[in-house]
Amino acid sequence: MSEAQQVIATLLSSQVRGELLVLFHRNSGLVDTVDGVARRIGRTGFAIENDVRDLVKLGVLKTKKIGSSEVILLDRARDREVLETVANHIKSVNRSEQN
Amino acid sequence: MTSPASRTRASEFEHQFIGRTREGARVKTGIAELDEMLRGGFMEGDAVPAAGIVKFGEPGIYLTFEQMPDQIYRDAKNFGWDLRKMEEENKFRLVCTSPDLLLESQGENLLDGVIDELHPRRIVIDSLSHLEMFVAKGDLRKEAYRLVSFLKTKGMSSLLIWEAGQMSGNSFSVTEVGLSFLVDCIVALKPVEIESAVRKALVILKMRGSDHDKQLRQFEITPAGIKIESAFSNYEGVMTGSPRRVGSEKFMEMFRGASEKHK
Repeated sequence: MSEAQQVIATLLSSQVRGELLVLFHRNSGLVDTVDGVARRIGRTGFAIENDVRDLVKLGVLKTKKIGSSEVILLDRARDREVLETVANHIKSVNRSEQN
Repeated sequence: MTSPASRTRASEFEHQFIGRTREGARVKTGIAELDEMLRGGFMEGDAVPAAGIVKFGEPGIYLTFEQMPDQIYRDAKNFGWDLRKMEEENKFRLVCTSPDLLLESQGENLLDGVIDELHPRRIVIDSLSHLEMFVAKGDLRKEAYRLVSFLKTKGMSSLLIWEAGQMSGNSFSVTEVGLSFLVDCIVALKPVEIESAVRKALVILKMRGSDHDKQLRQFEITPAGIKIESAFSNYEGVMTGSPRRVGSEKFMEMFRGASEKHK
């Protein structure tokens, strides 16, 4: 599986991950704890922590220590890279289908 | 001779360590009539509580606790302000977070990264009322003082939004927790009922170290931004929620009515 395919598989394999992506893309200045982020999509911290960890592993989100709390935020640079990788992959799939 | 790079470093140094606030300098609000009421704008570095306002010119941060950024981007676009573009140009940041994170007292402050990146001169906190829910009863004044002092230390003029539920009836106070003494200027916004219609009123209640307009003025939010109109000169008791026409106006009305009858 190529890197792009892996990225797409990670992004699309869970509904919560999709919700988190939409939330952070629409609100790129959001900086909050896992519980705080969960509240903003109507879920609990427990329900989203695994998905948050996967998105952090992928590099789309990053964590930061503020006092005694750990916050999550969008990694704008890495997010742009991921989006480009996905876009390029989709273009190449389209091209190969046309051929 | 100084190179552009060294000039930039010099101005950064000045911003960070020397030129925090220039004595007597004014920060324009971008609303001509309000700047006139403030005798030129807010004093640089001041903390100002209000209930809504802002226009741009210098780098700034809008910190929101309640409203999500996508809604703010959309609403700003309706007034012709492309906030996303301003973020790309490093002129502005919209930060959405929880009040308890902003109040963290240990280690790095939530805003440190943005401040280092942007060197902002202005910040809006939306809102102090929401912050109140996250601090122990009786601690709000202490925490607000810490926040205001942090922003002043960073050389930012702050606009603090406060929902003033007590601004109706016969008693009038901006906050019940004594925030008025912490801030340098108070702009109060209030809906008032006059002749069966709700109108928006604005008044500058306090401005530390400067003269200011004392009249209660009507304002409108138009597609071009906030427009401040004439003073409610024909009414009294508008702020207390019981507006009535002043005596001279009543007399003029009776006089006009009488002269109409004699025609």
